[in-house]
Amino acid sequence: MNEAVKQEQQEQQGAGSSALGITAAVAGWAIPGLGHLVLRQWSKALVYFLCVGGLATAGLAMRGGVFGGNSPDMFDRLGFFADMGTGVFYFLAHTIQSAGPDVAHASGDYGTRMFATAGMLNLLTVLEAYEIGRGRRA
Amino acid sequence: MNSLFSGLTHFQALALFSLAVSLTFAFLSKRGALERAKYFAWAFLAFLLVAIGIGWLMYPFSQ
Repeated sequence: MNEAVKQEQQEQQGAGSSALGITAAVAGWAIPGLGHLVLRQWSKALVYFLCVGGLATAGLAMRGGVFGGNSPDMFDRLGFFADMGTGVFYFLAHTIQSAGPDVAHASGDYGTRMFATAGMLNLLTVLEAYEIGRGRRA
Repeated sequence: MNSLFSGLTHFQALALFSLAVSLTFAFLSKRGALERAKYFAWAFLAFLLVAIGIGWLMYPFSQ
């Protein structure tokens, strides 16, 4: 790697701030990809929105289950944590999935896993947005 | 939209899942278009092959 690229990366890494990192993380959690949009990373923002949003929407359209936060069961709570990762899609779940969940069929069961996976993927993108915002990652 | 996704076969659901996860992982872990494309292709195929392989391994127990 030549010196100019190294210097540019060091400048980028130094340009971050804690406030920018937190803003990007919260934005990215609320709407997948928005955190990277705040950081002007257009291609990542688009890909994350399409992948997380597509997976979450597909999961709901397949009538997958959405976990509530008041269950005493530990696995349900883990599912709730994963589902909450989808941000706005969690709060719009009942609007998107007007017919309600149907996990008695295989497609509904797949839908439950897809929605939870979308949430976990989004949490990974949120961590990345936070790191970029803090200047720890270019 | 509901009818579109609820009519997916098992393989189509697997392919959709693999596509979204592989693409996100490629953008999270690699830099540069070529590196990302290679990683995406590798992860996508690995998801499909491993799932089909495990499916075949479980097949005798379903009888």
